[in-house]
Amino acid sequence: MNLSKLWRYPSNWNIFRSDDRLLLILIAVIVGTCSGLAALALNRSLIALFEWLHHLRIYWWAFLLPAVGAALSSLFLEKVVNEAAGHGVPEVIYSVSRYGGLLRLRSSFSRLISSCLTIGTGGSAGPEAPVVMSGAAIGSNIAKFFALNDRQRVTLVGCGAAGAISSIFNAPIAGMVFTIEVILGEWSAVNIIPIAIASVAGTEISRLLQGNQIVFEHVQFNIAFIDIMACIGLAVLCAGASVLLTRLLKGMGRTAGRVKAPLWLKAAGGGCVVGLIGMLMPVVLGEGYHSIQAMIGGTFSTGLAFVAIAVLAKMAATAFTLGWGGSGGIFAPCLVIGSLTGLVYHRALLTIWPQVPWAGEGCFALLGMAGLVSGILQAPLTAIFLVVEISGGYEVILPLILVSAVSTTLCHYLEPASFYFKELVERGHLLRPGTDARVLTDLSVSELLETDCVCVRQDMVLRDFIQILKRSHRNHFPVEDSQTGQFLGMIHLDDLRPYLFNPAIYDAVFLDQVMDRSVLTVNLDDDVSEILRQMDVYNLFSMPVLSQGRYVGMVSKAAFLDKYRKELMVQSTQ
Amino acid sequence: MKLDINDIARSLDLPVNTLDRWVRQGRIPVQKSGANWSFDVQVLKKWAAARNLPFTLPKTGPAAADENPTPETLLSAMRRGGAYTGLSGVTVEDILASAAECVPGLAAPEKSELHDTLIERERLTSTGMGKGVAIPHPRTPLRAGLAQPLIVTCFPQKPIDYNAIDARPVFVLFLLLSTSVKIHLHLLSKLAFCIRDDEFVRFLQGMPAAERLFSEINELERKLDQSELL
Amino acid sequence: MNKQLFHIFRNTPLGRETFLQSLYFCSQTGVSPVVYIPEHTKFLMYFENDVVQVDLDDSYLNSPETAESHATELLSAAGITVRFLKPKHFTASTLPDIKTDFDFMCCPRSISDLSSKIGLGYIGPRVRRIVQSARFPVLLTSPVYKPWNSITVFFGGSQNAVNAFRLGLRISRASGRPIDIFTRIESGTEADYRKLLEAAGLGQEVAETVRAWHFYDTGRFEDNLYEVPHDALIVLGAYGHGLIRDFVFGNKMERIQSTISNNMLIAGPKYTATL
Repeated sequence: MNLSKLWRYPSNWNIFRSDDRLLLILIAVIVGTCSGLAALALNRSLIALFEWLHHLRIYWWAFLLPAVGAALSSLFLEKVVNEAAGHGVPEVIYSVSRYGGLLRLRSSFSRLISSCLTIGTGGSAGPEAPVVMSGAAIGSNIAKFFALNDRQRVTLVGCGAAGAISSIFNAPIAGMVFTIEVILGEWSAVNIIPIAIASVAGTEISRLLQGNQIVFEHVQFNIAFIDIMACIGLAVLCAGASVLLTRLLKGMGRTAGRVKAPLWLKAAGGGCVVGLIGMLMPVVLGEGYHSIQAMIGGTFSTGLAFVAIAVLAKMAATAFTLGWGGSGGIFAPCLVIGSLTGLVYHRALLTIWPQVPWAGEGCFALLGMAGLVSGILQAPLTAIFLVVEISGGYEVILPLILVSAVSTTLCHYLEPASFYFKELVERGHLLRPGTDARVLTDLSVSELLETDCVCVRQDMVLRDFIQILKRSHRNHFPVEDSQTGQFLGMIHLDDLRPYLFNPAIYDAVFLDQVMDRSVLTVNLDDDVSEILRQMDVYNLFSMPVLSQGRYVGMVSKAAFLDKYRKELMVQSTQ
Repeated sequence: MKLDINDIARSLDLPVNTLDRWVRQGRIPVQKSGANWSFDVQVLKKWAAARNLPFTLPKTGPAAADENPTPETLLSAMRRGGAYTGLSGVTVEDILASAAECVPGLAAPEKSELHDTLIERERLTSTGMGKGVAIPHPRTPLRAGLAQPLIVTCFPQKPIDYNAIDARPVFVLFLLLSTSVKIHLHLLSKLAFCIRDDEFVRFLQGMPAAERLFSEINELERKLDQSELL
Repeated sequence: MNKQLFHIFRNTPLGRETFLQSLYFCSQTGVSPVVYIPEHTKFLMYFENDVVQVDLDDSYLNSPETAESHATELLSAAGITVRFLKPKHFTASTLPDIKTDFDFMCCPRSISDLSSKIGLGYIGPRVRRIVQSARFPVLLTSPVYKPWNSITVFFGGSQNAVNAFRLGLRISRASGRPIDIFTRIESGTEADYRKLLEAAGLGQEVAETVRAWHFYDTGRFEDNLYEVPHDALIVLGAYGHGLIRDFVFGNKMERIQSTISNNMLIAGPKYTATL
């Protein structure tokens, strides 16, 4: 290969040939930096847009701002980049599990722009899912540029996601854990190291450009045993809020789906409602980090009833934004709703037992955030590490773990699939590495094909067939039409056995008289899992495979076991 | 030795499209750029061992040819054994002892061992196939001595009461010694086919000379092969 | 195993011409068509190291109720049985994935832009991406149905050109049509070009199968192209140059496709030919 091209194919360099870890770490730095920059760009432009529009909020028509933003973002996605609405994380997971993390180049910026339009104008959504999508697409395209293979590309997709989350929250561990827990679903040293490096790169780029500040100011809490007990109640409340929000989003999406209108008009309608809610209760607007800060600091000074209403209002606003076609994620709204829920719980405790020295309300706000994130995303570790990192306080760790664990468990009873996975689980596309579903997806019928069956023609007599029988190893004989070559049926040796030793009928019986015409067949491009299901249902051991009506081979459970075992060994050993 | 991707697929006992997918997915240490594959056999061996996968390089040269040998023919086995007339003996034991003596290429102790196994086989049921023909043989291939299967054709001086299925005295013995059960069955089936032919049996009764016998066998065997090909 | 040609059906008169072209190709070479009647204006094709989003223009969704019957009509007139491709997997709910393990794919010169742009010298950006990424050769059809009676391979000496020649041989064997080679000498002599094919182990095929090998070393390339029979299927390899290089130096494929309106079968850089 000529030298000027060699740098494009680093996996062919001798030092990386047998072990590519070092190569992945090097590229992970690039990916982490790029996705960190993308995350920062979105964060900065969100703040800029929000502030630029701030002075307009005093006018009566300000409720139209989110409508305009949502409509523009929907138009951008639909007409300019021609992408589907939604936050994009399921797409990333889908591509990771089925296509080795191949993502389109346009995905690396489309969600950034559309979510900036939605959130910057006041829509209630989060910037995290968009930056995850962008980061992942950046990682994927860098891998594509260097012509890396699927496994390496998946790792780099993870690096992109980790870099983005680390950068936006200034939280490297959360970025790592989120990627492993949600995006990849696989804990292996080969993945974790490059992802950790990418998290470092993403975090560092954010610290270089906007200083090392934790997202929310650190507040000291004294946590007593009684607070830890009280956490269980909070966890239950959080679980309830999570399920409510999930159902609300689902219901809103379904309602919007029934309305016959252009997508941008729907998005505008949803935006209007959000704007109206925002006029009464500005806390619901945008991604809401400012209000979280106030809640942790204990300066959120409204009463119990108002906060309780704010929880519901934020949920409604989020559902109207996302359900009707706005663009953005669920992460930031989860944090806001979580802290509001924590606040509600704290105020309720104070009202009932005013004499107990409860830990500060900021502490409960933090715990509420963790509860909601673990409930909605079913990602308890992400919730724990994120809250620790963004609040800079380690002392809340015990109740944090408790709340996350209880909330995840309770939510799992009512909503088994998390917000990110739901769509995939419904379509049967959640294929985690090393699982049965994944192995079955990777195997294709053409790899299982056995071609040692001898084909016969329907106008053969039994005598000729017996000569063929002498040479064949198999008990099944596909019958093809002598003119068209189309598959007609099968001859099973078992059916013929009684007549094989009766030479008197050797010339009297044609094969089309003894063949089984109603045999079940499969197509060359059928899914292996579907074939196995049929084999189980009809109690079959092998089936003929057709392509365009012609016989191409057999699939049998014996060959399947052999291939399945090899596949599993190769997939589960890194 | 230069290996290509098909050899690797064969040594892993995989279809090439599975291997192609594994390379694409990065599961196997093989690099691909365009239509070129590059790999290191030692690395692959280690990789396969770590995953408990079989990895046997395909055999080349004469070893590979051995896997599918041309089936043994009756004629060559008979030529190897030779034909002998005027064997002495009146009982089954005696005639088998003289027949064992005729086997070429065996040392004395092996010959007596052969004789014992032949007698042992006769005790189970007689190998007299009827029409005056017997096919004595050991039940299992001989432990030592033979590199290739052979058939020794023996004509006794006088027909012998062999306890055959049709109780007719035996005038010809085909001593069948084979190296494996598979070849034994193969030769036995061919021989049995020849004996079914009454004309051939009449021909044998004339105690033909070795060359005439072999050409007749050759003729019959050709007929047999043709009918199987149809 | 059965060879397959992927065709995206466009339910318009223009689409009919393209479809007839596909069917002609299939019946000549014994390939079975796989027809996709789109339900969304976009789909994804996941290739080995690339994913291409194909944005179809709106005319692909024209009157879906008649699409299948129109397609079946044309198919039965050609005497070909066909399977319609129904996408099984979706990346997003309106974004189906189309498998990419076909042996050929048929494209009009543009699939994502308005059909009014289709003309000589224009190949849509999506079609280019498909050519660049696909393992299969792409059949770029002429605007109207045009049967071909011979095959002309453009051989410029690169590895990809050798692949293109192999592909041409395959088509020629399957269809029984004569094959010509067309070479514009850029460096060296005729013998050098012949040696290249001999080195690839194709010397015998050149001697036995090829009807004529035309060499040109004078005149403008565009003028030489007049010598290509009007009813030939052109087979050529497309090399994976970068965008900038194409922009500066120009590209043989561009010059050919902007001069000739014949049907072209293009073997992209990922295509690996077997005889």
